[in-house]
Amino acid sequence: MKKFDYLKPTSLDEVFSLMEKFGSNAKLIAGGTDVMVLLKRKRIFPDVLISLRSVPNMAYIKDEKDKIRIGSMTTHRELETSTVIKEKLTALYDAVINLGSVQIRNVATIGGNIANAAPSADTACPLLVLDASCLLISSKGEREVELKDFFIAPGETVMKQDEILKEFIIPKPSKLSGSAYWKLSRRKAMDLPILGVAISLAMNEDKSIKKARIGLGVAAPTPIRAFKAEEFLTGKFLTDEVLAEAGNIASKEASPRDSIRGEAWYRREMIRVLTKRVATISFKRANIV
Amino acid sequence: MVDFVGKDILRVDAFDKALGSILYGPDQNIEGALWLLAKRSPYPHARILSIDTSQAETIDGVVRIFTAADIPGENSFGIIPVTKDQTLLAKDKVRYIGDAVALVAAYDLKSAKEAVDKIKVNYEELPAIYDPEESLKKGRILIHEKGNLLCSSRIIKGDIEKGFSNADIIIEREYRTSRLEHLSLEPEGGIGYFEDGRIVIIASTQNPHYDRDDVARLLGLSPDKVRVIQCGTGGGFGGKLDISVQGFIGLAVYHLKRAVRMVYSREESFLTTAKRHPLIMRYKTGAKKDGKLTAVKVDIIGDTGAYASYGLAVIMRATVHATGPYEVENVYVDGKMAYTNLPWCGAMRGFGVPQIAFAHESQMDILAHELNIDPIDIRLINAFKKGSVTATGQRLDHSVGIKESLYKIKEIRDKYSWSKKKGERLGTYIGVGVGSMWYGIGNTGVPNPSTAQVELLPDGSAILYTGAAEIGQGSDTILLQIASQRLGIAIDRIKLVRGDTLYTTNAGATSASRQTYISGNAVMDSIDHLEDILKAEASEQMDLPSSELIVKDGKIFSIKDSSKSIDIFELVKICNKNKVRVIGEGRFDPPTIKLDPETGQGVPYATYAFASQVSRVEVDTFTGFIKVLNSASAHDVGKAINPKMVKGQITSGVAMGIGMALMEEFVPNKTKSLKDYYIPTSMDMPEIIPIIVEDKEPTGPFGAKGVGEPALIPTAPAIINGIYDAVGVRITHLPANLERVIGELLKKEGA
Ligand SMILES: Cc1cc2nc3c(=O)[nH]c(=O)nc-3n(C[C@H](O)[C@H](O)[C@H](O)COP(=O)(O)OP(=O)(O)OC[C@H]3O[C@@H](n4cnc5c(N)ncnc54)[C@H](O)[C@@H]3O)c2cc1C
Repeated sequence: MKKFDYLKPTSLDEVFSLMEKFGSNAKLIAGGTDVMVLLKRKRIFPDVLISLRSVPNMAYIKDEKDKIRIGSMTTHRELETSTVIKEKLTALYDAVINLGSVQIRNVATIGGNIANAAPSADTACPLLVLDASCLLISSKGEREVELKDFFIAPGETVMKQDEILKEFIIPKPSKLSGSAYWKLSRRKAMDLPILGVAISLAMNEDKSIKKARIGLGVAAPTPIRAFKAEEFLTGKFLTDEVLAEAGNIASKEASPRDSIRGEAWYRREMIRVLTKRVATISFKRANIV
Repeated sequence: MVDFVGKDILRVDAFDKALGSILYGPDQNIEGALWLLAKRSPYPHARILSIDTSQAETIDGVVRIFTAADIPGENSFGIIPVTKDQTLLAKDKVRYIGDAVALVAAYDLKSAKEAVDKIKVNYEELPAIYDPEESLKKGRILIHEKGNLLCSSRIIKGDIEKGFSNADIIIEREYRTSRLEHLSLEPEGGIGYFEDGRIVIIASTQNPHYDRDDVARLLGLSPDKVRVIQCGTGGGFGGKLDISVQGFIGLAVYHLKRAVRMVYSREESFLTTAKRHPLIMRYKTGAKKDGKLTAVKVDIIGDTGAYASYGLAVIMRATVHATGPYEVENVYVDGKMAYTNLPWCGAMRGFGVPQIAFAHESQMDILAHELNIDPIDIRLINAFKKGSVTATGQRLDHSVGIKESLYKIKEIRDKYSWSKKKGERLGTYIGVGVGSMWYGIGNTGVPNPSTAQVELLPDGSAILYTGAAEIGQGSDTILLQIASQRLGIAIDRIKLVRGDTLYTTNAGATSASRQTYISGNAVMDSIDHLEDILKAEASEQMDLPSSELIVKDGKIFSIKDSSKSIDIFELVKICNKNKVRVIGEGRFDPPTIKLDPETGQGVPYATYAFASQVSRVEVDTFTGFIKVLNSASAHDVGKAINPKMVKGQITSGVAMGIGMALMEEFVPNKTKSLKDYYIPTSMDMPEIIPIIVEDKEPTGPFGAKGVGEPALIPTAPAIINGIYDAVGVRITHLPANLERVIGELLKKEGA
């Protein structure tokens, strides 16, 4: 592992000036659970690590009137133990309770999970189906980017070199809506997903689907939405046939590959069956009588 | 009265382990020790044309680079004396990706790494073989000069054709298992230095005396010029029976006469240490309508990879155990072990029996379903009992607790009404599976003695000397409990000297579940001899013939007049005054009869452990995910010297067995480290109910046999049979991972 300096700025302004000073020789570090692995495997060679840990007001869950804001430095453990997340953002809750292990969740952050931009990031699919946006800030100002437009490639996002991820803004789910996430892995802990499927459904009173969102992880180079399957579901009733067809469409939208973690044929098959399962759970959670 | 046997004594190493004060192999360090690092082959099969170390030698910090030419003794090692085919540093050929070709000694690891990169090896690539059956075909490229067949083993009993013609039903299936990694808590590591004219090696190991002898052989020294000390060993599972760092450390100290240190990274440990042998097992089983077995024919082909290691022992054990713990009149088992250019395989908890048990228990399960007999009942119908004769012609006269183990798990299954049903979530089904096993304690049909000494000191304490490696399984505690009970001295008054070849004698390997039974008996024997010494001294002091004396409660009494007695420690004082140490030397070698090379008839083991397990599993037919919900295992251990530790072993066996059944698979060239090799976590554990059955073994210490490996063996079969019960698909290739389960379910759906 290469030698590096570890800097601990105590304000955002200080962060920005350090980022400007070191440019591409600097790497931001939050919980470090991805950064340290990359360093040890010699995949990155920064001269300095700029820690966000001592910057105040970066970890929070704000339950506002029609939005929920989550600070990027919020740990998965904080999300897991928050009733707001458990009750209102159920898909995200499903994701954080199975991420890594308690030890990992105690230090790893949601901002790091998304900024790292792995196709397997567990919180990505839930945030996608919850229509989350990312608030990016720099010394020059701030901008909001919808998460569906955020990822470019594995490890690559639309964030510029001088920007940091400040918070996630999530519209509060309407009544008659429900969301869920299914992480498919080989064991119950300490494992990245072979495939992740998140779905949120907003229902009409007549039990037809008003709005559907399907997020797929490890199904393409980045976490993706299955737009065609979403469109297909809109206006339909949740019958076995409809769900099976939605699964087929989503499966075709994906481009999974063979990897040591799992084989492509299996992933494709699982998109079909899990679309059905996760939609069923979301529907139940929508609580229509 | 001391009473230590059969009690839940706290492990003697519990506090030190909990406090982190035990130093394991990778923790060992000496100020100024040089780092050792091996240069390894990138090819599975290649001839070495030349090795150029000149550029590497110019690197600052490099002290010396060794190649095969620097090995003063025999450049071949291996735990089984007749198959020492592994080179410490490859001479003319490499046989798998990872074969060591050179060794760097440097002041720091960074320089060592740099030097390893700079060593230039010129290879001529040779065609490689990855399939054991391919390997055995005529005209194939030779991996070893003597041929690609490492060894074979055959068991013939009765008339196999007659057995099948008497059968009402015949089941034929092929089973396969995968290469597995031991994944001990800590990777291989240790240090070495030169002291008093000896090479001293401190390393994690399961077998210090073997290490000493093979290192001495490599270096052309007599064994007393090498001293091996076993340091804290957090786990072995068979993976630390072979030499790893010891040979390299020995070589470097031999030449440099200074302290050195070598630690394998996890990746290096994955790449270069033994794996579990994958076996292909073709079974043909015949039975009557009532479930009684009439014939079992098995063809086994094993893949030992590039080197022999324990291959011979594994194929023998697999053939001997191939019937399972059942009476079968007509048996024909043929086993072959082939070389390939894949990572070499060696001992791993159970030596081939976990593989073969998966196959024979799957066969029993198929029979039960086909004949509509309760899977526990079909085992009861066939299970060994006292007087049964095994496939090798051995009559089992004592301690045959297999039926008892089946009754115990039946009790649990029925008490909790475990049976097939739908799961809570859509697409999930619950099933119940049974697995049984038998396991011979000690090595197969060869002498494998242990020795020990017990010394009494005048202050009322004692010392127990044993060469038996403690690898976490608990032999330190067990041997002390045995000594304490037999001596009548409290356990905390006995000091243990263990695993140092300078002060202890050979106890054989900590393997084959043999230390409680064999070393336990050696301890018992040493105390017998100790008492003889005491009686001889007492006879002089009391003026009575030895034959009229007995030892009881720390005193020696006259049989005729119990008012006449003398305290044993008084005798020790007298002896010590006369410059005589009161030390009893013990030895035990289990009585076995070598197997006939043609028919496999003989007495491979003096005693066997037996076990049965019932596991309840949930199958997710959407994803193929299997969750083990509950598990009950009943093990006949003869006598539990320490019940809590026996239960610990059983629980750990279930944990490891879940890995073998469901997720562990070492794929050569793909599996590199923990990130792509799955072992279960605590979150994957079911409820585990360990049950102890005690059918005492008359030749065992206080009736004890062994449990270390048996604990693992019934788990995979019970789970696999549970999957069948739940959803009607039979997994014949371990592990039953997500893809295999879904693949089989889709096949069934399609049919
Ligand atoms: C043992 C283990 C198990 C794991 N299991 C899982 C799992 O089950 N599921 C899963 O999804 N992940 C898993 N991970 C990966 C990792 O824990 C998560 O991705 C985690 O959320 C990363 O957060 P962090 O705070 O540690 O990020 P860091 O490692 O600190 O940073 C990750 C990346 O994000 C950047 N970054 C961090 N914060 C910001 C910010 N505010 N603005 C801009 N860029 C930023 C960093 O520069 C870096 O590129 C696991 C990791 C380990 C080591």
